[in-house]
Amino acid sequence: MVYGSVFPLIYLAVFWVLYRHEKIPLMHHAGEWLTVGVLGGASLGLPTTLVGERERGVWRRFRLTPVALWHVVASTIAARYVIILGAGALQLAVALAVGMPVPGHPLALWAALSVVTLAFIGLGLVIAALADTVPAVQGIGQCVFLPMLVVGGVAVPVAGLPEWAQQFSAFLPGRYAVEALQACVTGGGLGAARFPLAALAVIGLAAGAAGAKLFRWDASQRFLTLRGKVWLVPALAAWLAVGLWAGLRSRVAVVTPPAVVVAPMPLPEPAWMKLTDTDIDALDFHVPSDGGVVAPFAAADEPPDENTALLLVDVAAALPTWAPGRVDDDEQAVRNLLCVCAVPDVVQLSGERYVPLLVLDHLSQRYPKDQLVKLLAWVALHPDDGTVLLDLNELGIPGSVGDSNQVRERSYLYALKFIMRLTGRKPPARIK
Amino acid sequence: MSAHVVVTDLTKRHGAVQAVRGVSFVIARGETFGLLGPNGAGKTTTLECLVGLREPDEGRIEIAGVDVRAAPDAAKERLGAAFAGSALPDQITPREALRLFGAFYREREEPAVLLARFALTEKADVPFATLSTGQRQRLALALAFVNRPEFVVLDEPASGLDPQARHELHAYIAAMRREGRTVLLATHDLHEAEKLCDRVAIIARGKIVAAGTPQELAAGTTSFEDAFLRLVADEAEGTRT
Repeated sequence: MVYGSVFPLIYLAVFWVLYRHEKIPLMHHAGEWLTVGVLGGASLGLPTTLVGERERGVWRRFRLTPVALWHVVASTIAARYVIILGAGALQLAVALAVGMPVPGHPLALWAALSVVTLAFIGLGLVIAALADTVPAVQGIGQCVFLPMLVVGGVAVPVAGLPEWAQQFSAFLPGRYAVEALQACVTGGGLGAARFPLAALAVIGLAAGAAGAKLFRWDASQRFLTLRGKVWLVPALAAWLAVGLWAGLRSRVAVVTPPAVVVAPMPLPEPAWMKLTDTDIDALDFHVPSDGGVVAPFAAADEPPDENTALLLVDVAAALPTWAPGRVDDDEQAVRNLLCVCAVPDVVQLSGERYVPLLVLDHLSQRYPKDQLVKLLAWVALHPDDGTVLLDLNELGIPGSVGDSNQVRERSYLYALKFIMRLTGRKPPARIK
Repeated sequence: MSAHVVVTDLTKRHGAVQAVRGVSFVIARGETFGLLGPNGAGKTTTLECLVGLREPDEGRIEIAGVDVRAAPDAAKERLGAAFAGSALPDQITPREALRLFGAFYREREEPAVLLARFALTEKADVPFATLSTGQRQRLALALAFVNRPEFVVLDEPASGLDPQARHELHAYIAAMRREGRTVLLATHDLHEAEKLCDRVAIIARGKIVAAGTPQELAAGTTSFEDAFLRLVADEAEGTRT
């Protein structure tokens, strides 16, 4: 009951949840959830029942009668076939009820499900022959069940497995069961499933013969003392033969899964981007005059002397590739570039008033105007954040500053002066 | 009475242990024959070889002239058996079980007849799992008679029964005796063997140490029980008086 009805519906629910985002529910994984249901009923449920009844002495009672072994095996297979097909029908009914379309080839699906069921029943008979006790059934059954589920193409589609697992799955009947059933749901029907059906038939017949030959009536008959263990060889050989046959027929078909393009996570918007005109208008634009000692600023048409001109040429050439001005953090990059204005101002370099022109020009080429205004405003609103540079020897500007607060103060002033030039603001009138 | 069951030099090993060592006996038609011995004496193994549950290592078994080892199915058509340690699927009812097992034989008794005979009519349609121990034992006996057997083998049939159920069981076995059926009863209960059996073979350590009527076996001793204990002890010591 549990393996025959409850587990198949649980598997169906699991697949429904796993692939809930698909447009057509369950259809493209029908081969998988049907196969998992059959595996549970045939490779775990059947041997659990057989061995449990053997342990209790049920088969011993049958052994007292003249009933032939093949009658017992055939009736066991028939009963389990009905149970498993019933479970499959239940799964399909539920799948249809939640929106899966009718399979493309319903009769072919019944035929394929029959082949799959009989193949795995054969496997279940072998497990029952190997196991002396019900706990042993669970152990052996899981050793068969789990590899098929995980790397055998049953719970995880073959296309999604690594190459070695795709090769390995060619030796396991689970893969062929999924292929055969899926072909009847969304593929070309039985015609498209000839190889998997043939593979299942070979494996199932060999396993069924071995399981019947090794059938034990009595719990006192232990596997190790059983005669006829050689029948396991053809059962195992069938798996090997199928895998090799698949390789020869190029049926392993190592499929590279489509590249999964992962969209980069969008970076959160930097805080300075959220500044508004109101925030910028709130800045105090009372700044020293451009002609003064603090934060001097040459006019655009004011020519430098020869030595200053040479310095400016060198600085202009170095600025575009200067590393501190190209850091990824735009706020810090602007701070660093403002230091190019601030340090000459603090050390009172002879060409100090001309350097801001270069820096503003460089910043204007690098950032759109509205972004640059916001960046400068952010620096002005947070003068103590980030780091400041105390010497600019890399740019060929001599001198260094011992007090970072001075650099921060001049950077603040130059930020305001840049904003005023970019936005056309005039300094507010001084209160007399 | 003509010989109905002939067992000759039966031998069976379980690994290194010789469970049955050259056991031989003859059961006449219509006789109730007891196989009496302590636990582990080889009674069940002997019976299992007789009914085809185990393949003997050596020896010959004939039931109504049929060689059990050569023609096991033909032998099974003639015999019925009730063994301890046998069970049925939990959900099967007594009526279904009698119908199912009857279908395995050429000749079969009607389930209703057997249900009435073994007082199971009221429980005819309830699952096996719900039956009491006594009811299960009566069902096992009913199944032993489903093919109207000439020869019935009972392995410790009273095992686990309360006194009332045991009394009922003894009545059934006595009825078989009156009907003239050939019965082989394996038991470790001296009183059961003395009360129900025409002849008894005492088995110890896989060997028949004595056979005869309870009165013959008790001759020269104070009681059948005394004779049994002495014979078993002698076998254990490796001497015979």
